[in-house]
Amino acid sequence: MDQFGTFEVFVQPKEGKPFQHEGIVHAPNLEMAYVLAKETFTRRFTCFSLCVAETRNVFVSPVSEGQVSAYDLLTTVQATGKPLTSFEIFHLPKRGKQHVHAGTVQAEDAQHAMCVAKQTVGAGKMTYNVWAIATTAIRFTRPEDGDFWSTLPEKKFRDAADYKGGDKLKKFLEKNTVTS
Amino acid sequence: MYGGGNTFEGVKLDSVAQEDPIQLAAFEARIERGEKIEPADWMPQLYRKQLIRMIEQHAHSEIIGALPEGTWITRAPGFKRKLALMAKVQDEVGHAQLLYSAAETLGKSREQMIDDLINGKSKYSNIFNYPAFTWADSCFISWLVDAGAIVNQLANAKGSYGPYCRALERICAEESFHLKYGHHCVVYLATGTVTQRRMFQEALNRWWAPMMHFFGPADKISVHTEILMKWKVKMGTNDDMRNQFLDMYVPKIWELGFTIPDSNLKKNNETGRWEYTEPDWEEFKRVINGDGPCNKERLAVRRTAEERGRWVRQALKSPEAEYVMPLA
Repeated sequence: MDQFGTFEVFVQPKEGKPFQHEGIVHAPNLEMAYVLAKETFTRRFTCFSLCVAETRNVFVSPVSEGQVSAYDLLTTVQATGKPLTSFEIFHLPKRGKQHVHAGTVQAEDAQHAMCVAKQTVGAGKMTYNVWAIATTAIRFTRPEDGDFWSTLPEKKFRDAADYKGGDKLKKFLEKNTVTS
Repeated sequence: MYGGGNTFEGVKLDSVAQEDPIQLAAFEARIERGEKIEPADWMPQLYRKQLIRMIEQHAHSEIIGALPEGTWITRAPGFKRKLALMAKVQDEVGHAQLLYSAAETLGKSREQMIDDLINGKSKYSNIFNYPAFTWADSCFISWLVDAGAIVNQLANAKGSYGPYCRALERICAEESFHLKYGHHCVVYLATGTVTQRRMFQEALNRWWAPMMHFFGPADKISVHTEILMKWKVKMGTNDDMRNQFLDMYVPKIWELGFTIPDSNLKKNNETGRWEYTEPDWEEFKRVINGDGPCNKERLAVRRTAEERGRWVRQALKSPEAEYVMPLA
């Protein structure tokens, strides 16, 4: 198949705000997925940072119909003593919306991460769906990517506000009213 | 930008009758409540098929639609217009990326969609099968074709399929620059020299018929799509969308002192509907079936791009990443 891999893209609109799922890109590897994500999802709107992860590395919970939280549909697994690693947890707070970053947990694997998240970042929260991604599988924005992001403010020609034809039109209409 | 008309073929209701009635009732109740349908939800085969068809056509229209304007980047009058047009064309291709992704969530790969486009199996908006002879043609597209697209896209953004609605919200936000830029270009032509005004008037005369075709065949002759409207796949009839466009933009065209090449065009204040000479639907069918002035050229450009890019894709392809269906 002449088709690259699939990567999920998450955008952090402002510093301190959570990452939100924005869509996907296709790319041959994680680094190129990051570059394509920047072009596709932040070409016209500024954001603080973004991150990408390959779709097959996203562990997905069952989807809730709304009566119970998606966490309640999980099969509980217990820790077996394996070393813990870091997982990023994303919640779907409402149907029709995007997954939003809820927090980071330490767990043995993705399924265990969801069980840990149920007791921590997900405790008492209604969520329709949960995603867990190993932190090491995610390409985050790095401090050295700064220059990569700083091009938008000088591109005013991409902004509707840069096209003011009102005065020209007004003069034209006034002149035509006087003439007619 | 894209055209919203004629995206549906005759609906065979037999396939709906074969669906599980309990699942179907729950699906319809969800739409009735105003909830979105997501990729992992159960959905009727007809819903999936028609959505793929519609979103795919929309995506194709974005990349094919970039071609007539794209040819004007190097010839646009001045550096500022070149920058703006380049940004607009880049946006259109970006919109195609978003839309292909939304269609992929329904189970059709991007590669299949591109293959179907260049093999002539899938359609795209008919209006892009006409040539942009002058700079004024490019301005007509930027202002009025995009305006028509916005009418359709704003309606479809209220539809039932989550990934398509979310893509459209992003696209509509980006389209505001296109519309303002297009209007700005036309205002400059309208308030310019006699030659500039004549250029735009001639472009308007050339593009009016394709613009009326843009929203698809008249309701009285188009296929019945009641079930697609019930499922919020199609959000308005072709005539409703056309009427909304005329309502919003005919006064703006007249305000600039241009004439519209249809002596029957007027608003009936009693019905609130525009009356016009019936568009030539035979020409519409002829062009959409491949016999328009630019059909062959448009597909040839895409085919060449696909062929020339093949070695790059093959060189970059690695087992590191695997194609799978997007999640949302």
